Amino acid sequence: MKRFPLLPELTLVVVLVLTPYVLTHVGFSYDLMQRVLDWGILGIGFDLLFGWTGLLSFGQAAFYGTGGFVTAWLLLDGGMHSVWLALLIGTIAAGVVGVCLGWFAVRRIGIYFAMITLAFGQMAFFIEFNPLSDFTGGENGLPGVPVPTLGWDGWAFRINTGLPMYWVMAAFFLASFLLGRRIVHSPFGVVLRAIKENTARAAMLGHAVPRYKLAAFTIAAMFAGLSGGLLGVFQSFMPPDAFMLDTSGQLVVQTVVGGVGTLVGPAVGAAVWLWLRDNLQLIPGVGSLWKLILGAIFVVLVIALRRGICGEIRHLWSRRRLARLPDATRETRAPEVHVAPVMTMTAPLIRARPDAPALETSDLSKQYGGLRAVDQVSFAIQEGTIHAVIGPNGAGKSTLFKMLLDEVHPTEGQVRLFGRQITGMGATRTAQLGIGKSNQLNTLFLDLSARENMRVAALGRRRGAFRLDVLRRADSIAEVERQVETALASVGLTARGDLPAHVLAYGEKRRLEIGMALATGPNVLLLDEPLAGMSPEERISTRTLIREIGRGRTLVIVEHDMDAIFDLADRITVLYEGRKLADGSPDDIQRNQAVQDAYLGGMRDVHEPA
Amino acid sequence: MPSLALLLSQAFNGLALGTLLALVSSGLTIILGTLGVLNFAHGSLLMVGCYVALVVLNATGSWLLALVSVLVFMFVAGVLIERVIMRLFYQRPPEDQILVTFGIGIVVVETMRALFGSQTQHMAVPPWGEGVTRIGFLIYPTYRLELIGIIAFTLLVQYVVLYRTSLGLVVRAGIENAAMTGILGINVPRTFLLVFGFGVVAAGVAGMLYGPILSVTPDSGEVYLVQAFVVIVIGGLGSFPGAVLGGLIAGEIMSITSAFNSAYSEVMLYAVMALVLVVRPQGLFGTEGRV
Amino acid sequence: MNETGKVSSVRRRTLLLGGLGLAGTCGFLNQALAAEHNAPLGTWPAGISGNTAFLGITTPLTGPYAADGQDHQLGYELAIAEINAGSPLVQKWGLKGKGVLGKTLRYKIADSQTKPNVAVQAQTGFIQQDKAIMITGCVSSATAVALEELAQRDKVLNMVGASGSNDTTGKNCQRYAFRSQPSAYMACRALAPVVAKALGKNLKAAYLVPDYTYGHSVFDSFSRFAKEHGWTIATQQVVPLGTSDFSSALLNIANSDAQVFVNVAFGADAVTSTKQADQFGVLKKMKMIVPNISSFQAKETGPELMAGVYGTFDFWWGLEDRYPLAKDFVQAFVKKNKYHPRWGAHIGYLQTLVWAVSVERAKSFYPPDVIKVLEASKSDPYETSLGKVWYRAEDHQLVRPVPVVVGKAASAMKNPDDFYDVVEVVPGDQVMSPPDAFGCHLGPYT
Repeated sequence: MKRFPLLPELTLVVVLVLTPYVLTHVGFSYDLMQRVLDWGILGIGFDLLFGWTGLLSFGQAAFYGTGGFVTAWLLLDGGMHSVWLALLIGTIAAGVVGVCLGWFAVRRIGIYFAMITLAFGQMAFFIEFNPLSDFTGGENGLPGVPVPTLGWDGWAFRINTGLPMYWVMAAFFLASFLLGRRIVHSPFGVVLRAIKENTARAAMLGHAVPRYKLAAFTIAAMFAGLSGGLLGVFQSFMPPDAFMLDTSGQLVVQTVVGGVGTLVGPAVGAAVWLWLRDNLQLIPGVGSLWKLILGAIFVVLVIALRRGICGEIRHLWSRRRLARLPDATRETRAPEVHVAPVMTMTAPLIRARPDAPALETSDLSKQYGGLRAVDQVSFAIQEGTIHAVIGPNGAGKSTLFKMLLDEVHPTEGQVRLFGRQITGMGATRTAQLGIGKSNQLNTLFLDLSARENMRVAALGRRRGAFRLDVLRRADSIAEVERQVETALASVGLTARGDLPAHVLAYGEKRRLEIGMALATGPNVLLLDEPLAGMSPEERISTRTLIREIGRGRTLVIVEHDMDAIFDLADRITVLYEGRKLADGSPDDIQRNQAVQDAYLGGMRDVHEPA
Repeated sequence: MPSLALLLSQAFNGLALGTLLALVSSGLTIILGTLGVLNFAHGSLLMVGCYVALVVLNATGSWLLALVSVLVFMFVAGVLIERVIMRLFYQRPPEDQILVTFGIGIVVVETMRALFGSQTQHMAVPPWGEGVTRIGFLIYPTYRLELIGIIAFTLLVQYVVLYRTSLGLVVRAGIENAAMTGILGINVPRTFLLVFGFGVVAAGVAGMLYGPILSVTPDSGEVYLVQAFVVIVIGGLGSFPGAVLGGLIAGEIMSITSAFNSAYSEVMLYAVMALVLVVRPQGLFGTEGRV
Repeated sequence: MNETGKVSSVRRRTLLLGGLGLAGTCGFLNQALAAEHNAPLGTWPAGISGNTAFLGITTPLTGPYAADGQDHQLGYELAIAEINAGSPLVQKWGLKGKGVLGKTLRYKIADSQTKPNVAVQAQTGFIQQDKAIMITGCVSSATAVALEELAQRDKVLNMVGASGSNDTTGKNCQRYAFRSQPSAYMACRALAPVVAKALGKNLKAAYLVPDYTYGHSVFDSFSRFAKEHGWTIATQQVVPLGTSDFSSALLNIANSDAQVFVNVAFGADAVTSTKQADQFGVLKKMKMIVPNISSFQAKETGPELMAGVYGTFDFWWGLEDRYPLAKDFVQAFVKKNKYHPRWGAHIGYLQTLVWAVSVERAKSFYPPDVIKVLEASKSDPYETSLGKVWYRAEDHQLVRPVPVVVGKAASAMKNPDDFYDVVEVVPGDQVMSPPDAFGCHLGPYT
């Protein structure tokens, strides 16, 4: 895509210009084209919400209707003369309602989210129909919405329906598309995608997920409000069906048909769907069967062409692009890790006491029902050391680990980071304060490239928990890009950086996992079984990597590979059945009888050779 | 302020409404809990049961035959849908499942329209259900009263199957943890098949029972779909007792509200659903964290 | 002889000059008139440039009013077929030859799905693509209002389909739209005296009102006219549109002390509410009145429930004995479609024919000319299936008789569609509202 930076935008302009001349010959009236563009604008917002953030909303009609009726009312009973101003206010009104409803809705995910939005949509419809019917005209809607004018007084030029109105709609669609593209290529957009791919991981990297979701929801609401207002304007009538569940449903159907996550998918889907609807009816004998035929087509599409029309095209395109990449990037090779370039490290934000240990726990406990997974564990990790936590299976290592960065809240006890209490803050905040973690099971953003994975991680701390930087390019923050490249180089993935993460070999995925934790620029890095599943060669190079990373940084490692532990660790803490069994230097631990008993199950006496 | 007598009448009516909702929702919740599929076609399948019963009734006049036909037909329909379509979706994200059931719902409704037309069909109240019954000051249609009993019995049968048979145990295990159940050597795909068929049968039977009360058109089922959603949210997604209790609560909400202002009865339901989703998303009986 | 000769030459000259002058004036006038007709307006003259004229028709084929919608469609199709054939039937209405002014009628039917927005979209397409010279068809007042607005904006004549709200020729009236169905006011004003006479004065009525403006306007109109006969409101139960279970409302009604049950619900709601009312014993306790009976209500509820029920229709085929053109219509419809037409079909049929006759009277398709003919019809009423009717110039409401019917017992039915007896046909001018009663301000001609 870098070769033709504005290819999609230019293509769209060409298509929009040619459409009125070409499509009229295949049964599209100007009115239908305007409708398709209107659904398209509504769809851009919806695609940002569903395609990019992964939130399937069945309630977009609420905002479509709000924007539409506010605009229409202002122009009719409200006495406003400027259609453009009314559209603006309508869009803002929809955004306000979006923030209010979204605040409730985004607290839930998946099916719950879909159902909350459905409920809100139905409530909005009812409000339009009944209590506010004096304003909204109830089931009649608001007829007679005036058309916009360009210019002032003597030079005012009324935009009549038909071709002139088409140009207005096309202009709005183009602007919406450009804005949409900006948003998805911004750091904000990258985070949205990460949230869709793996919400928990995005949160752990320091991104305030609920705020992003709310922002995405509100942006979608505003696109909906604009398209609603435009509906009333271009057809001179604001209908109550704008609020109906059917509208939300049709939006979903059209987006799926056209392609989720493509921005223009909804418009393409609308064009196909509406054209089929109008023209199927005209086939003799079909009549009211049109809906059955369309429904069947939709089911087939969902089953077979799951990416939708544009999505499939894009998929083919990217497969070809992948096939054309130089061989070197496509082959897996043993990693060549040399001296890792020094990664810059952000200074810890707060240092409560100058001599405070990097991470310290006091009486940390976690209870799951009757099971005490972690029991009164207190230990300290000194700054700049590599500290290992070991213990047999079921000792509570993973749980302890999760509590260190507050991924899981402790039942009792405290955790302090550089002397500052972080218990109960949540993984997002602790990530912002400087703790990073790489997981035992890979938690990557599989559809993003390795570089993009790193970028999401790097954006976390550099950029802060939340920023609405929708207008800049994602790769435009120099500091972040340096961090990304350094992290890639550290784990030896620079050559493979542009491949989607799901294509990488297992060992490479592990390295990417570690690299992502590194890319957040943490002061304290927690590594949960970094060597799990690696081959012997990979282990050696990863150990080297860990040693390099550990220079000047605090590392906490959970591992089963004893050779690695005794080689790397400055200090070792042993857990057994949730309690701290021992804590000391590697030599101390090796000689510790209790530790040996714990690992060997106290059978030493029996098996000691005579 | 409505009179006490009126409030009591409405409360009783809510009970009747609620039992019907409970039956419709039980099928939906079992499918959701076991398969993780939110079946948007549930409302349309309700009407299928109604039409099947109508056809058999018009041909034979026998309610018993109608019931048997509905049971058989709906089970076969459920099995077919599961085997041909739903099976392809278990590995796909939940949104895809919602979309395909949404599409199936449209296809089913329009097929019924093509077969039976849009005119409202007439399903007579069975002879043993005609007339009104007087309970104190309350005058109530006999059929609805009998329905309370019939549905309570049906729910009891469902309960027995779910909680007292080994099949039911497997289903409930599947609701808890499908993967684990599979690892234990239980034929999970076949269980899913039976569960889906079971859920669809529940919808069909509800449709047959509803027939004499409501207007039988292809579109009539949609209203119940959305109301069933509300019920299972209140009761807890995947929970059978939740569906029953949630149904009763939903019925009461609608009836009592209408004692004050009938225009608001439906929207009050949505407001309660939104409230539950925000305050206690797992509902009454659902498990926290599990969708 | 010389004088006569001189006189005659003077006369001849005068005659000649006069003749020339007259010819000149005529020619000038002709030019002037021709110039006035030259400015294109809406889809004129593009839409009739060939030897066809296009009618855009929307009707719900899916959704809750689909049954009425299909009936509506058949009425249009019958009218258009007859017009194109130049049948004796349409000659009796006043048409000459085949087609309208010699042009064959083409049409397309779009499914409005009972949604105003979809209807607007379809008709806009018909106007822009097919250059429809007249748009028509709907089964809901919301759609009617939206299409009226479209008609006025795009300057295309709209013969309103099925719409009973007062607003259609009230605050939403348009210069380019004409409505034939009785308004709620008219229907209720016709009905109230009849039921007061049949059922009694000073009765208490319980109302079931669907919660939308049409429902409320019927309630307002009927209760107001019923009050003139001493009727009071025992209870008013407002239910959300599309309710499937009326039990709560019906309980309230059953527990009230009303003697009459006025059911304002329409379409599928009417059928469901009637069935459930029967189940709640309301119909045994009270007499039911349905101010605007839905087309297939009796067939769908079963005649037993509608026996003895009073109400009004736009048209009932039982009127065939009263109006010869109604008989023609019914016979042709039964022959073609194998059932008796309902009033949706009749509206489609009547509106199409009245329009065609108006165009031929105006000798032009030019919308303002046709409009003026329609507005002037009081002095030259149309001969139709409802007898002599005419459009009121002030609000474009058809002044026409309102049939009041009562349901027949099943045993009295002579054929499968014989559900009602016509009790009284109230003449139109007795039931008209004052023209400005509902805030009608007609717009401009161009």
